[in-house]
Parts: sequence; structure tokens; C-alpha cells
Amino acid sequence: MRKTSSGTSKVPFLRKPAIQSIIASLICILGGLLVGFIVLLLMAVFSKDIPISEAFRGILIVLSGPAAAGNARDVLFTCGNMLFTATPLIMTGLSVALAFKTGLFNIGAPGQYLMGAMGSLLVALSIPQGSIPSWLVWILAFLTGTLLGVLWGSIPGFFKAKFNVNEVIVCILTNWIAANVVSWVFYANQEKFVNIAETKTNFIRKTVSNGVSTATLGLDKLFAGSYLDVSIFLACIIAILLYVMLNKTTFGYELRACGYNRNAAKYAGMNEKRNILLSMAIAGGLAGCGAALWCLNGQQDFKWNTYQSLPNVGFNGIPAALLASNNPIGVIFSAIFLRYIDTGGSYLPGETSFNEYVSQLIIAVIIYFAGFSKFIKDYLKKKQMKKETAATIAGDYVKIPDKPIMSPEENITEESPPQTPVPEEPGEVAETTEVPDGPNAPDGGKDGDDQ
Amino acid sequence: MENTTSLPVREPGPETEPYVIEMRNITKEFPGIIANDNITLQLRRGEIHALLGENGAGKSTLMSVLFGLYQPEKGEIYKDGKKVQINNPNDANALGIGMVHQHFKLVDVFSVLDNIILGVEPNTLGFLRKKDARKRVLELSENYGLNVDPDALVEDITVGMQQRTEILKMLYRNNEILIFDEPTAVLTPQEITELMHIMKGLAAEGKSILFISHKLNEIMEVADRCTVLRKGKYIGTVNIDDVTKEDLSAMMVGRNVKFAVDKEDAKPGAVMLDVEHLSIKSRIHKKNAVNDVSLQVRSGEIVCIAGIDGNGQSEFVAALTGLEKAEPGSKISLDGEDVTKKSIRYKNTHGMSHIPEDRHKHGLVLDYTLQENIVLQRYFEKDFQKAGFIRFDKVREYADLLIEKFDVRSGQGALTPARSMSGGNQQKAIIARELDREHKLLVAVQPTRGLDVGAIEFIHEQIVASRDEGSAVLLISLELDEVMNLSDRILVMYEGEIVGEFDPKTTTVEELGLYMAGAKSQEREKGGNDNA
Repeated sequence: MRKTSSGTSKVPFLRKPAIQSIIASLICILGGLLVGFIVLLLMAVFSKDIPISEAFRGILIVLSGPAAAGNARDVLFTCGNMLFTATPLIMTGLSVALAFKTGLFNIGAPGQYLMGAMGSLLVALSIPQGSIPSWLVWILAFLTGTLLGVLWGSIPGFFKAKFNVNEVIVCILTNWIAANVVSWVFYANQEKFVNIAETKTNFIRKTVSNGVSTATLGLDKLFAGSYLDVSIFLACIIAILLYVMLNKTTFGYELRACGYNRNAAKYAGMNEKRNILLSMAIAGGLAGCGAALWCLNGQQDFKWNTYQSLPNVGFNGIPAALLASNNPIGVIFSAIFLRYIDTGGSYLPGETSFNEYVSQLIIAVIIYFAGFSKFIKDYLKKKQMKKETAATIAGDYVKIPDKPIMSPEENITEESPPQTPVPEEPGEVAETTEVPDGPNAPDGGKDGDDQ
Repeated sequence: MENTTSLPVREPGPETEPYVIEMRNITKEFPGIIANDNITLQLRRGEIHALLGENGAGKSTLMSVLFGLYQPEKGEIYKDGKKVQINNPNDANALGIGMVHQHFKLVDVFSVLDNIILGVEPNTLGFLRKKDARKRVLELSENYGLNVDPDALVEDITVGMQQRTEILKMLYRNNEILIFDEPTAVLTPQEITELMHIMKGLAAEGKSILFISHKLNEIMEVADRCTVLRKGKYIGTVNIDDVTKEDLSAMMVGRNVKFAVDKEDAKPGAVMLDVEHLSIKSRIHKKNAVNDVSLQVRSGEIVCIAGIDGNGQSEFVAALTGLEKAEPGSKISLDGEDVTKKSIRYKNTHGMSHIPEDRHKHGLVLDYTLQENIVLQRYFEKDFQKAGFIRFDKVREYADLLIEKFDVRSGQGALTPARSMSGGNQQKAIIARELDREHKLLVAVQPTRGLDVGAIEFIHEQIVASRDEGSAVLLISLELDEVMNLSDRILVMYEGEIVGEFDPKTTTVEELGLYMAGAKSQEREKGGNDNA
């Protein structure tokens, strides 16, 4: 592939798939902010108590993220917590993105997340302090959480592969099963796990009470008072590994082939059912791992009484993945961005006349717009594809010497391709979240349901 | 090329009514390429006007201009002598222009009837009146002999029936200018004859037909006039009565093309493929789609299964290659080894190459690049991976080699997304991939479907070359020309059974047709000795 990078110099900058992905995401963010601003403006207009200028101040606060905190010390503290809370979001974003790459919609991240939280907490709090080194307990707890995520992701994967049951339906079921299983397990063992000392009856003891917490490497000092620990780096490393796995390995090649065209994958002898199962299992593992990273921080309260609600961080993985066009590296940035906006929004009630619900509303609007990133990207791609297809068809004959049809100054030859998308570029990876349904593939659309 | 452009062109006399559609001096450019260079197309009322050209000659672009999908840089379009502006397909529809696309635009999960009325649903206050529509569709389908089941789901019906649905769609909309984009590519000889008949009938009723094709026989048979494009340029418009097939071919390709395949007699060797009592359940009806078929293919021979689309050939190949399960009792041996229960991967790596029927559904991952598609079955081999990592440099090298060897043309070489390649080159890429893999048996299903003369010639040569290298070739084709030209032995499949075996040297197209239509069966005649 190294060779190809020379070819990319010919590609107009704005036509590169990676750039198009980023443009699409930026358009979404801008659109979301704009609508958010309009909401603030309308509120100011229709409320006697809020001057119009508050709307401008409000959107600026949302935009400034942790910087809205005020003095440097507070900003650092807020930054630390922003990054810390972004960690599980990166993981659930990766979970959703990986499944999308294989043509599956993992809406089961909340359930996988819950199972991961339960697994890691049970292990971290059950092994008596001092019996084995606490770092070993941490690793065991981390692995247990991840494995339970794997298990929970495998269930929809299994039903999809074996019986072609829509994974979305099974995911939703497993989400609620997880919510109830977790509630039940902790309810049955309240005296052991629940934090009675602090009379927080619905919360599990912090793992640090058992001596288990993630290493901080001084991050808690740098971002004084925050919860930040090395888990953010672990999440980034996992994202990079996932990117390499998807784009450089035979396994990733298979997964993407299955996602793009399941029939062709089968034709080529790939075990598409195994790949579906594996993809969902890994996706579940990623979500479970995200939960483990959050819980094992040591300082976190986990609300065990979850049977009526699912963790938002699981669902927010979907906009994180969409905003990043399913590129694992992109997910790091999109997740941090979502947390950034959220952090800024949390200062709205304190700093302006808007209440906290407005901040949630704006964030919701931005997340909603994140869903459009694929739409916008498809639009950009379609416009380009229309030109490209015609150009390539006409280009069939560039090798026939007798009658060149190109104007001389724009001669296209095999050596100087007009456009060269390089698959390795981050954006390219994220191209399709669905089975191919382009203009040339009338059959592509139905290949998900070949049974 | 020398004398072709000087062939006589009939100009409309002063008494002639204005052209129903006239596209004057259309020029459409794409960045770096002139797809249509000053092209003029004049369609008379009630005529069948063929538009001839190889893939990439600019036919599709010209039709897209007529359909309002592209705006030309230069040139005008006239309808009945009045200048019109066609900005989008809705404008074209309003002008009575209808088209059957080469790749059907049907909703798979809708019934035939629903597809036909889609967009023009008869309704009362928003409630569908399907009864009327149904009646009309049945009438139309009867009148024109377009046999369809209005209640069948499109995903369940054959390609041929899908096409008839498309034609009915146009008829249902009362279009008066009908564009057929390579309509015969998927039809059987009998169906083609029927379609020709229909087209003539439509023309006689005053409908004007644009018939896009590169099949010279059909153009000679059905068209009144023919406009030829080559490489985006207008070559000429001729009266079919004034020219021969060879003239047209020379105009289209710019050189003389041979129609017959050069090949020596087969030298059959050992049995490479041995199929015994193969049966497959049908997804549509209760009978077996393939019923107790036994056949052998030896190395060094091309055996062709001929038959009308939907008589079990697709299912047979699916079971043979492992895409579908065969019924118990079936046995498939490859070079003496029982591979009935083996995986697709095993068959792929043990000498079976497969050129699939549908290159978009099975043959290619359209969102992958050409090079990624080239290694679709080999990415895991030692040459292309190391410790689980794909060696993209080797992949590139290999892809470049095949591109060179098989003359696969594309905008960006090995890195072209497969989706943006033309159909002919997509097919060439598949052929390259399948033939270059080590194989003892080549299963080629409609390898030249929808391709132009030049590409067909090339692919036929490659298949014969593969045979001469000692490979056994099982060819499944709906095109009788191809069957007669290419094969060393012909088997006819009818309703899931082999009903006859023929030597292409001694049989005729007409005889094959009788067997294909189920009118005759050797088994019935001889008491089953050909099927044992």
C-alpha cells in the first residue's frame, strides 16, 4: 500500500474519503449547534425573564466545554472528569462501530455495559483485600467484566448467525434482561455489596473500599481532584488496535467483506456466520470492557437498581460511532467531543438563566444531528461517484490508441488516476454502515436476509 | 471503419412528421472525458431505433441525458419538433418517456403488481384500488404475452420475469417512447423471439422504441434504423435494410470481429467433476428445483448446461459450489474426492473455480477496491498474509499482474472501487481471479451476461484456453449462440432435470429449443439411459 500514497497527491484534497468523512461530521456538529442556538434564542424570545443576549452567552458556554468552569484549577479538574467520562463512551462507541462495520446494528451496548459493570464489580468486591495482590484483582475484574460483555454480545450474534433473527430485536431483549439480572444479583447480595455505611441504598460500594482502583500515574494530581486515570489511554490503545485489526488483518478483511456484501463473503468461502458471531462478541466485549474501566476506577458509585433504566453511555455509543463514521480512531475524538459539549452544557443552569433541561436538549439535538453524518457523507460521495462512474466507463477506452477521446491537456492514463481513495485512510474505513445499496447493486440491498 | 460512416442515411423527407424525439448535437463532458461528443439521435414515431455501441461507448450517458439525469453541456432535445428541457426523470416521465433499465429498479419485497403501480397507484381518497390495477396489469400481460404472476414477490421470481415486470411497468404508464436497455441479455431464445414480436407490435401501435443493444442479430431482426456510437462519438445512423451484420459490427468496434470461437477439438481426459443423483429442494414450489441430476465433466472439455432461465440451473450451481445444501443422497466428487459435505473454502482451495451468475450479488464486494476483490478467496494464503496481517504490497503486485494479463481497465488501476468499474471490466476482474487460481474445474455461469462483443470474444478465448490447459469446464448459459460456439458437449436442463445430451456439431438451435421448452426429452424417448 505504501506505493499508493504517491498516487494520492493527485486526488483533490476535498475528494479524499477521509476528508469527506470529517467534513460530514463537522457539518453535523455545526448543524446541531445551530439548532441548539435557535432553541436558546426562541426560549429567550418567548420568556420575559431571559434577555436575548443570554442565548449568545448560552451557546458560548456550551461551546467552551470544560473551559466554562472558570479558573484554571477548575478547568483542569473539569477536563479530567470529561476525559474520564469519555472513556466508557469511547468503548461503547467502538462497540457500535465494529458491529456497523460487519453490517450489524449493536443496539445492545447498554446491556453489555451493565453486564460488564456487574462482572467487574462482583470480582473486585468479592476477593478479600490482601488475599491476592490488588493489581491481580483488578485484572481479574477487568477480564470478568469484558467476558460478560462478550457473552452478552454473543447472544444476539448467535441468533443472527444461526436463525437470521434480527439482531436489533435480540439486543433490545438482552438489554432488559441484563438490567434485571444485574438488579437481581445485587439485590440478593445487598449486605455484601451495597454501600450501607454511606446510606446510599441504591449504590454499590466503591471498589477502592476493597483496595481495587485503576492506576492514575499522577493524572489525578495533574487534573487535581478529578477521577482521571490511565483507562483513557487503555481505551485509545484499544481503538488503535481495533483500527489495525479491521484494516490490516485478514480477520478484519473478512469482517468488512461480510458487512459490505454477505453473499460475496459466503461465495468466497468465508464463514459469514462465524464472523457475525465474532463481530457481535467482540462488540459486546468492548462495551463490557468500557464498563469495567469505569467501575474499576475505584471512586465510582454504581447504581445497582437498574431494572427500570438502561445506562445512557450505552446508547450514546451510537452517536459516537455515527459521528466518527465508524472509524475506530475517529470514535476517540467523537466521544471526547460529545463529552465536551455535555460538560459545557452542564454549566448552563449555573451561569445563565437557562435551566439544566435546556442543556440536555441542546446536547440531544447535537447527538441527533450526529445521526445525519452518514447521510451527508453519502451525499458527498454520491455526487463524486456520479462523476467518477461516468469517467471510469469512458476511461475503459483510454488504452485504445486509435482515437483518444480526452482533451489533450487533461489526458487520463493508467499511471495518473483521477481519484485515488486509499483504503488505509481513516475516513475510508468508515464508509458504509449498511450493506451496499448503491446504484449499481440492485441485489446488494437484500443480501442480509438470505435465509 | 473506412466505408462505414459513408453508409446511406435516410433523411426525413419534407412530408415526414417531426421526430418524436430528437437529440441534437449532444455533448456531455465529465472531468477529463467527453462521454458524448456531438451526438445526434433522431427517433421517428412508430419505429424501432437501435442504439448500438460497446460498453462505455456513451449509450448510457446519452440515455441519462434524455432521462434528465445529466444536463448536457451542449445540444438540445426536441419532442415532436418542440424544444424541451428535461431537468429530471419526472420531466422525462411527463413527456411519456419510459425505460427498462439493465439493472432492474424493482422493490424486492413488493409483489409484481405493487411494483408496477408504484408511483402511479390508483386510489380513492388515498385508499389503494388494487383491483382495477390488477385487472389492467393482467390485461396488459395477456395482450403482450408478458407472462407474470402479479402476486409473486419480486425477490422470488426469475430474472426473466423481473424484466417482464419492468416492461409492464412502462406499458402500465402509457409511455409512448420506450427505451429498452439491453432487454434480451437475460432471455431465452424463445423469449427473445417473443420480445421481438412484442416490440414490433408496440411499434405498430405507434409507440416509438429505442433499443439499446450490442447484439447484432437482434438489431438486424427487429430494428428499422440503427445509430452507432463508439467511444463517445457519433459514428452514423443507418437503415437496417441497407447494411449487414458485419457492417454494423465494424462500425461499432472499429475493426472486424470474429463471431465464431476458434477452438480445437476437445481432448477429454480424466473425470474431474462427477455429480451423482443431485437433488435440491425448491424455495418456491414443493417440487425439487433440481431433481436427481447426474453428470460428469472431464478435464479438457467444456460441458454446457443449456436451458431456459429458472429451470434449476442456478440451484444446481449453488449446490455444486456449496452456496446451498443438497438433499441427502446427492454426491459430488471433485477429481475423485467426495466433496459433497465440504465447505466452500475447501472446494475453492481444492481446484474449483466459480464465475458466479450475479457478479454484484456474489462475485464482488462492490465497496472493496479491485485489488481487494482480486484476492477475495486468497487473502489468507501465505503469499498475501503474514501472521494474520494482509500484505497489501503483495496484493497490489498480484492485482497489477492480473490487470495487465487480463486487460482489466479502470480509472485508478488496482485501487479502483469495484463499484465504479464498468460491468464488462467487473466481469473481467472476476474471470481473471477465477482463471488465475489453480483450478481443475471451472464453473462458469453466464460468464458473458450483458457484455459487449469485444469482451465476449475475450472471455470465450480465456475459457477455451483454460480448457486447453487441462481444466474441466462446466458452462451454464442461457445464450444459445454461446452454447453452440463454446461447448464440446451440451446438456439441456428442463424443470430441474437433464432432458438431453447433444453434440454441438450435430445438433441445431431449434432442436435444443424444443428440449429447453420441455417439448421433447431423451429420457422419455430412450427410457432413461442418458441419465444414468
